Amino acid sequence: MFTYQFRWDVVPNNLHFIFSGMQMTLILSATTLAIAMVLGLVIAVLSMARPWPLRAFGVGFGELIRNTPVLVQLLWVYYVLPIFFEFRIDAVTAVIIGLSIYSSSFIAEAYRAGIQAVPQGHREAAQVLGLNQAQTFRRIVLPQAIRVTLPPLAANFVQLIKYSSLGAVLSVGEVTRKGMELSSSTFRPLEIFTFIAVLYFFICWPLSMSIRAWETRLARR
Amino acid sequence: MAAESAEPIIAADGLVKHFGPVRVLEGVSLALAERDVLCVIGPSGSGKTTLLRCCALLEAPTAGTIRMRGEVIAEPAPGPETERARRRVRADIGMVFQHFHLWPHMTVLENIIEAPRLVKGASREEAVAAAEALLAKVGLSDKRDVYPQRLSGGQQQRVAIARALAMNPKVMLFDEVTSALDPELRREVLLVMRQLAAEGMTMLVVTHEMNFARQVGSRVAFMDGGVIVEEGPPRDFFQRPRTERAQRFLAQFED
Ligand SMILES: Nc1ncnc2c1ncn2[C@@H]1O[C@H](COP(=O)(O)OP(=O)(O)OP(=O)(O)O)[C@@H](O)[C@H]1O
Ligand SMILES: [Mg+2]
Repeated sequence: MFTYQFRWDVVPNNLHFIFSGMQMTLILSATTLAIAMVLGLVIAVLSMARPWPLRAFGVGFGELIRNTPVLVQLLWVYYVLPIFFEFRIDAVTAVIIGLSIYSSSFIAEAYRAGIQAVPQGHREAAQVLGLNQAQTFRRIVLPQAIRVTLPPLAANFVQLIKYSSLGAVLSVGEVTRKGMELSSSTFRPLEIFTFIAVLYFFICWPLSMSIRAWETRLARR
Repeated sequence: MAAESAEPIIAADGLVKHFGPVRVLEGVSLALAERDVLCVIGPSGSGKTTLLRCCALLEAPTAGTIRMRGEVIAEPAPGPETERARRRVRADIGMVFQHFHLWPHMTVLENIIEAPRLVKGASREEAVAAAEALLAKVGLSDKRDVYPQRLSGGQQQRVAIARALAMNPKVMLFDEVTSALDPELRREVLLVMRQLAAEGMTMLVVTHEMNFARQVGSRVAFMDGGVIVEEGPPRDFFQRPRTERAQRFLAQFED
């Protein structure tokens, strides 16, 4: 029944092309992670702020982003944002902005969980000893929160590597888009998309495994 | 010692604390002169921890004041003068908690030198020298570079005491510091507290250790329902409690 003739040679013949796409994927993910880490901290701080309008904004923004599809967000940034601000952005910028916003809402949660995981008693001990709020946050809360937050941050990086494939929809030349282009020029979608899936897997899987090991180690401390 | 003439080190005056509808303190007044060791005892939920937390400036009173050497440091709506006084004397009040609250990302030494370095601006050498002296005093010199998780509860609590002492407080507050410990680890902590009392530290001690209150306390206060029901020298209090509530409370500890 299954008489398909595999032609794996399309892969080595176009290896350079595919790898250039992979490079773009990793650059996209890393840039996005860097921006999302900063943006996420802003949202986390807002959502824990004392004045309620700030808190409402932080919490509302996070909820909105986490409960709408990332693809819709990307399309929105690419097609709608330029109408509001009357300037065109290129597809790469749109993907970076869209994914950063998406990712920051999850990273904000990770920060928040990390900060809230620090027992109130640790803060109070610092307060009684005379440390002010800023000193308490910097010396007592943050160092403990970061430990708990690092694994979720790394997990977010894995997510971003996968979600950056959505850039293909906006014709960003990351690895999935390169695959689409190759398969339409070579008529070999099976070989190409299989190879690309395997490529993603062998980047994401070791990362995920190390994160899991890392989390277990943290939990044991 | 003429306690009447000198201003008390720390004093609560008509202290009231409500958490929304929950009325925890209903007018508590107390005063600690220098070298006083006031032991506060009473049933669970009587407001002992809340009283200490108000004195440690962790809770703002609903009514009443906290004074340190006559100067108001806490009141319901603190003005700028009270705020300034509060910031100035904050580190003169040391507190030790039931659950230690050592910082787990720092070694024993780092836990102790943190506040002197940050708050007093002490040099590292100064702070380390002082910390080493304190560790010797609480019998933990060999644990200086260990993380708190590696210590027994009794050892952790002794580190917590050393950490509080590193700021040279004028008064130390202890909130049931042995309750979370196994009975065989309590002695080593109580011993350190006895030694502190003998050295003349002013102490406000919430405790369930009746022997400690009897032997070390200069006075005992019995709390129930958010008020101090009875207060006096330990000898009188333990031998002839005046109120029925105190008698019933003490009866639990007889076997
Ligand atoms: N932040 C708070 N919000 C609401 N209620 C509180 C709060 N803190 C304490 N309470 C209540 O106040 C009462 C007295 O609490 P507190 O901890 O001062 O008692 P305690 O005498 O220290 O008791 P224990 O011997 O069990 O430690 C309790 O009923 C408690 O539930
Ligand atoms: Mg208590």
